[in-house]
Amino acid sequence: MTLALKNVRKSFGGLCAVSDVTFTVPERSIFGLIGPNGAGKTTVFNLITGVYPFDTGSITLGGKSLANLKSAAIAEAGIARTFQNIRLFSQLTVLENLLVACELQKRAHLLAALLRSPSHYEDESSMTKRAFEMLDVFSLRELAHAPSTSLSYGNQRRLEIARAMMLSPKVLLLDEPAAGMNYGEAEGLKTQVRWLRDTFNLTVVLVEHNMQVVMGVCEEIHVLDHGETIAHGSPEAIRSHPAVIGAYLGEDTEGGAA
Amino acid sequence: MAGRTWIRTIVLALLVAAVSLALDMKLADILTDGSLRQLLMLTACNVLVAVSLNVINGMAGQFSIGHAGFIGLGAYTAAVVASQLHVKLGSHAPTLAASFIVVPIALLAAAVVAGAFGFLLGLPSLRLKGDYLAIVTLGFAEIFRLLIATATVGVQDTPAQAWSAVRGPGTFFHALGVSITALGGQNGYAGPGDQGVPLYAGPFWILTIVTLMVVLAWRIKFSGWGRALRALREDEIASAAVGVDPTRYKVTSFVLAAVGAGVAGGLLAMMRDGTPSVQPDTFNFQASFDAITMVILGGSGSVTGAMLGGVFVTLSIKAIEYGQGSSFVQDLRRHAEWLDLNALRMILYSALLIALMILRPEGLLGERELFQKKRGAKAS
Repeated sequence: MTLALKNVRKSFGGLCAVSDVTFTVPERSIFGLIGPNGAGKTTVFNLITGVYPFDTGSITLGGKSLANLKSAAIAEAGIARTFQNIRLFSQLTVLENLLVACELQKRAHLLAALLRSPSHYEDESSMTKRAFEMLDVFSLRELAHAPSTSLSYGNQRRLEIARAMMLSPKVLLLDEPAAGMNYGEAEGLKTQVRWLRDTFNLTVVLVEHNMQVVMGVCEEIHVLDHGETIAHGSPEAIRSHPAVIGAYLGEDTEGGAA
Repeated sequence: MAGRTWIRTIVLALLVAAVSLALDMKLADILTDGSLRQLLMLTACNVLVAVSLNVINGMAGQFSIGHAGFIGLGAYTAAVVASQLHVKLGSHAPTLAASFIVVPIALLAAAVVAGAFGFLLGLPSLRLKGDYLAIVTLGFAEIFRLLIATATVGVQDTPAQAWSAVRGPGTFFHALGVSITALGGQNGYAGPGDQGVPLYAGPFWILTIVTLMVVLAWRIKFSGWGRALRALREDEIASAAVGVDPTRYKVTSFVLAAVGAGVAGGLLAMMRDGTPSVQPDTFNFQASFDAITMVILGGSGSVTGAMLGGVFVTLSIKAIEYGQGSSFVQDLRRHAEWLDLNALRMILYSALLIALMILRPEGLLGERELFQKKRGAKAS
């Protein structure tokens, strides 16, 4: 499904964090959202996932508006995400972190759990089976019963992606997945992102500072600076775009809007 | 596997029912001291108080400090319903047979009223992040208590007359005032004509209901629902991002906690060997604080921990009351007037809680349970 933002705007008090952002993420593409620090990239993610409401404009997924939907409903609609500063459920085990993401797909709910009805047990075992399959995908099976905080940084990042994938999303938003990774790990991430897209028929949106990853994996890139769009295009076009170079290197350029 | 569990559940349920039925008939012979029987039943009710508060405070991590308000709502509702039914049944001395009519209806009413108020309070305050729930629940419990303790209307009409005369907002609030005044104010509610609240809830009802509620709390904890609550406690934004709607889960848990408290209050009001009246001051802030102490001492999030906390706090309160009444302490008081053990109790609990926060901040059991099954997939 196509994720589309149209003239989206968000201010916090007098500060305009995102102004008039418009872009369309083609289905099954790997889409990069980049820009210098404070450009409003994470804010855009937070607006898409309903962490806070946007002021004006529209955000649609497959033509369906996401305005006024709460985060949980947006997750249900098919958008999953990871966070810039990893947000795992730290007191829960690796497996439990994945199982929480299954709540939406459960057929049986609170009453079934209270009565311990057959559907409760069926849900639990099918959820656990799915969670273990997902752990296999991310090579985390051995750590299933470890507390999530005991994982290494790289594994925590992977667990976060695995947790998001448990929602069987149509669009996956990754917020700086390569942060803190070395060259080799970043190369691995590129392969993994492509593999995820191909295997699960996903659309991937990437907020990333690591240019090795962005230029290597993204098919289309949207550049923000101070909450405004300054460029949009293929990696090749973005690499040589004067406004982008200006924004990153701090040069004074004129007329960057593309 | 599910089938075998069902059979085991039914066998266990019958066993609990049989044991409590036997106790219902024979407890007066085993424990001839009425105050000991009362203490036993009170302990069971407080276990329910602690276990229900644990659902919202421990599992969901939302700090509710007005649990006494819901206990009080349940107590007054059950007392009124039981008294009315008692009169309809002919005002005979409460029998076990008659209790099968009175107790379920009274407890259901208590649960519904407490749950409804839980929903009304929880919906606005749990939508917001932060400590709003603490402020709202504290305010609610005190308003509830003071409203009943101080309500007076000048006119001498009965609630029935006042309600039948309702023609608009003015007469509606008059009828409401008359009804609250009929709850006896500061003197407490003792049934119509002050004949006393009928004490229908013997050991059978108290033990079976408390057991049932403990089992339900356990099942909440060890289910997807409980897992989602723990996730929510860790990180609301991340929970919402994986489809766990914070408001829905928090409000539902809060309502469940209120229902548990309402049932506990109902049992307390109708408790055999208890006092045949419901006093507003039973549900003061100290009662809420005692409930919090039970949960924190035992370990936030642990069902068995809350049970241990409930037992400990109830017994220690009684031990202190007993000590206060002893001739030794009374003798000492002649020389040292400040020696009021009941007042010193709060100092004792505070010191205990501070020591606990330093030595074992997660409480006695933390989130663990006694007798926890070693099944990695389910428990932490």
